[in-house]
Amino acid sequence: MATHAAFMPGAKVETPTFWGAVASWLTTVDHKRIGILYGSSAFIFFLIGGIEALIMRLQLARPDNTLVGAQTFNELFTMHGTTMVFLAIMPMSASFFNYMIPLQIGARDVAFPRLNALSYWIFLAGALFLHASFVFGAVPDGGWFGYANLTSAQFSPRHTIDFWMLGLQILGISSMLAGFNFLVTIINMRAPGMTLMRMPVFVWMSFVTQFLIVLAFPCITVGLILLMFDRFFGTLFYVPAAGGDPLLWQHLFWLFGHPEVYILILPAMGIVSEILPTFARKPLFGAPVVIYSGIMIGFFGFGVWSHHMFSVGMGPVADAAFSISTMLIAVPTGVKIFNWLGTLWGGSIRFQTPLYFALGFIAMFTMGGLSGVMHASPPVDLQQTDTYFVVAHFHYVLFGGSIFGLFGGAYYWWPKITGKLLDERLGKVHFWLMMLGFNLTFFPQHYLGLIGMPRRIYTYAPDLGWNFWNLISTIGAFTIAVSFLIFIYNVIRTTRSGKVASPDPWDGRTLEWSIPSPPPVYNFARVPQVHDRDDLWLQKYGDGHGGAPRPKAGPVTAAEIAAIHMPPTSFWPIILAIAMAVMISGLLISTYQIIIGGLLTLYCMYKFAMELHRPPEGHGH
Amino acid sequence: MADHAATHAVHDPNIGNTGIDHRKMGMWAFLGSDCMFFGSLIGTYLAYKGKSISGPGPHDVFDIPLTSYSAALLLASSLTMVLALAALQNNRVKAATGWLLATALMGLHFVLNQVYEFTTFALHHGLTLSTSLFGSSFFVLTGFHGAHVTGGVIWLLLLVSLAMRGKLDARDYTKVEIAGLYWHFVDIVWIAIFTIIYLIP
Amino acid sequence: MADSHATAAAPHARGGHATVKTYINVAVALAIITAVEVASLYIPGIPNPVLVVSLLGMSVIKFFLVVGFFMHLRYDHPILRGLFVGPLVLAIIIILAIMALFSAFVLLPRPH
Repeated sequence: MATHAAFMPGAKVETPTFWGAVASWLTTVDHKRIGILYGSSAFIFFLIGGIEALIMRLQLARPDNTLVGAQTFNELFTMHGTTMVFLAIMPMSASFFNYMIPLQIGARDVAFPRLNALSYWIFLAGALFLHASFVFGAVPDGGWFGYANLTSAQFSPRHTIDFWMLGLQILGISSMLAGFNFLVTIINMRAPGMTLMRMPVFVWMSFVTQFLIVLAFPCITVGLILLMFDRFFGTLFYVPAAGGDPLLWQHLFWLFGHPEVYILILPAMGIVSEILPTFARKPLFGAPVVIYSGIMIGFFGFGVWSHHMFSVGMGPVADAAFSISTMLIAVPTGVKIFNWLGTLWGGSIRFQTPLYFALGFIAMFTMGGLSGVMHASPPVDLQQTDTYFVVAHFHYVLFGGSIFGLFGGAYYWWPKITGKLLDERLGKVHFWLMMLGFNLTFFPQHYLGLIGMPRRIYTYAPDLGWNFWNLISTIGAFTIAVSFLIFIYNVIRTTRSGKVASPDPWDGRTLEWSIPSPPPVYNFARVPQVHDRDDLWLQKYGDGHGGAPRPKAGPVTAAEIAAIHMPPTSFWPIILAIAMAVMISGLLISTYQIIIGGLLTLYCMYKFAMELHRPPEGHGH
Repeated sequence: MADHAATHAVHDPNIGNTGIDHRKMGMWAFLGSDCMFFGSLIGTYLAYKGKSISGPGPHDVFDIPLTSYSAALLLASSLTMVLALAALQNNRVKAATGWLLATALMGLHFVLNQVYEFTTFALHHGLTLSTSLFGSSFFVLTGFHGAHVTGGVIWLLLLVSLAMRGKLDARDYTKVEIAGLYWHFVDIVWIAIFTIIYLIP
Repeated sequence: MADSHATAAAPHARGGHATVKTYINVAVALAIITAVEVASLYIPGIPNPVLVVSLLGMSVIKFFLVVGFFMHLRYDHPILRGLFVGPLVLAIIIILAIMALFSAFVLLPRPH
């Protein structure tokens, strides 16, 4: 007991020194801190990816432009896509999984706190490894989807593809470890009375997302392993001369890649499903149906992958099969949209910033969904594929959808995480500017695609009729950038002198609003007893059928708080992550490094596993 | 005092509201995910089966008797694994250690058989990773399975080492149980590989 | 303290538990099936489809024997069954889909 007194809530803690504070962040196993680590990292990489986009848009603003050449442009679109998917949207979602899932299910942490920290440090290692390519002048240039056999050693002899390939493997490990963690947490750590159907919809969408992660990533892991063996050890998986088929890569990649886009959108859909009821002061319309739709989207998401391959010649039977499955998957998505509208209908709506972003999500994602359904028809797709029409489509769903949703979550949960409310006026300016900029950037790209502008070109001739809308698109991109500056200013100002937030500033419906802002390290002084969906709302207002609000429990005693055991900090997660990074980067440096890194990794894994073996008395084992 | 023991017996932080230990649930989720991993590798092998343009084919090189012996080894090792677990449950640590060691050694024997097989293929038959699609897909699929077995052997030997130092007993049932689940999974993947790759013509 | 831990640490969720005798029976069954599998390769003149189907069938039986008894899934909480069987089924479907897409069996006509 005494050994962990320092971690007991309520224990006297002296103000840490600077290095003490740094150490506490490096060794944290607290899901809230890990959430903040993910969120801040994600935002930084989001800005880096944004700068890559701005450079591309500057290059394309005018025909025959010479700002960057073809090679640099290839690197830009490769890194922009890879960064936005793996280093911005996914970790931003992970930030909310980490912070909010335990709070929303009434738990004190996740099932495996140290594994949780490990996931973050491995993520950071992967992100830094990928960006180390800039330092070594070998920036990945094969597209974020790395099609074979351009990525072969023959056609990409430099280390560019190696940085991409190994970086993704590292990131994949991080995502999968987190996936297992959240799966077990959600199944096994819900507060008493919280049946699966009483869970908040954000938790449900995150739950489906974790299944997608652990089931889809193995496919790209294998695809990348085959690529690695081709590049390093002379295997023939993607070598046409030996009978190998580059389409094998495409199948393995998209078997992962399609569920991946649902991984990118479902959390944002979950966030929207939390924001709308709160700001309409009405329960989510048809919550069970929204949940089942999410499950169906996840499940059927595994059946549509070759709609990314309609132009490769799979034949009419395969084309038809994937076309039908793709059209079918639009149904549960559409169902959700109607349920969200039904939530707003007849609600007592408060127009505050989180709601703006949720509404923006619905509008923009619907547009992206419509262009997506068009792609579902192979003959139509044959015109659209590899043109800017597709670029428009996926930016409408990923930016108009995921990014808008994630910003909505940021404004919604900012007070809970930081204890301060972001400025409403600045928030609305951010929203409208981003809305304007986003549509200016991407709406014209539908047209550009249909009049023939291909993807991934670094410049274009002046007499094709593409000049004007490319310029507009670039102006839109810089408008988006200004909107981000406003957000950053809002964050800085709020941190310095923002309005202090109460535990429940939005009059919320879910458990996270029942505890202080920011929450104490143990989250809940007393484990909540849950009786219904939107339990907090019912506690506050009764059931709306004349039933009185539930009687409040007695105040929490100091003894109750003293009895809470939180897991101690640990340095093994960060050290193990470093060992793994040393081992994997050894593939690009020397065999000795692989061996030494490998032995170090094994050693760290052993110490990690043994850290809690035979813990001191008082910690159940 | 009695209260403390009572709350402790009830409040095992590793057991969740399904009554299942977190670690056991996590291991099953991992094994499900590993099905997708091996599924992708087996799919690759079957996609390329019969499409090599040169080099020895499967039935030119396969040594069915040796591979059958290896398959039997893994199946037997699964038996010794559950016997280890049964012994540990009754706190018979010495017996459990013995069974765990037997499991690990049979796994090691399997890996050594594979090393012998790979070397024979390369030196005797001229079949390597880069010879043909068959060489590439066969070595990568069975190689990754072998790597899984090797990882399992190391894990089991570590458990044996802990037990011999008096640091493993019935309290650690779940830890050994999840090592067992991993080990059996490695066995059933071999059941699939043995049939699909070696036996089916 | 150690005693209460020793028994508390060996939880069994559902009713029923395999005994050592069960395990040995399963092991013997596995050995016999494996022997039959290998032997069937040497049956002269056995038609291919029959051989393939019977080999696959026997390996499925072995698979479920190990998963059900050695891995205890037969006696465990259904949630664990779901966590494993779902992905297993998905993996099998994907293997079949990849085979079809690469014309491993003539399910899809080869593209022109």
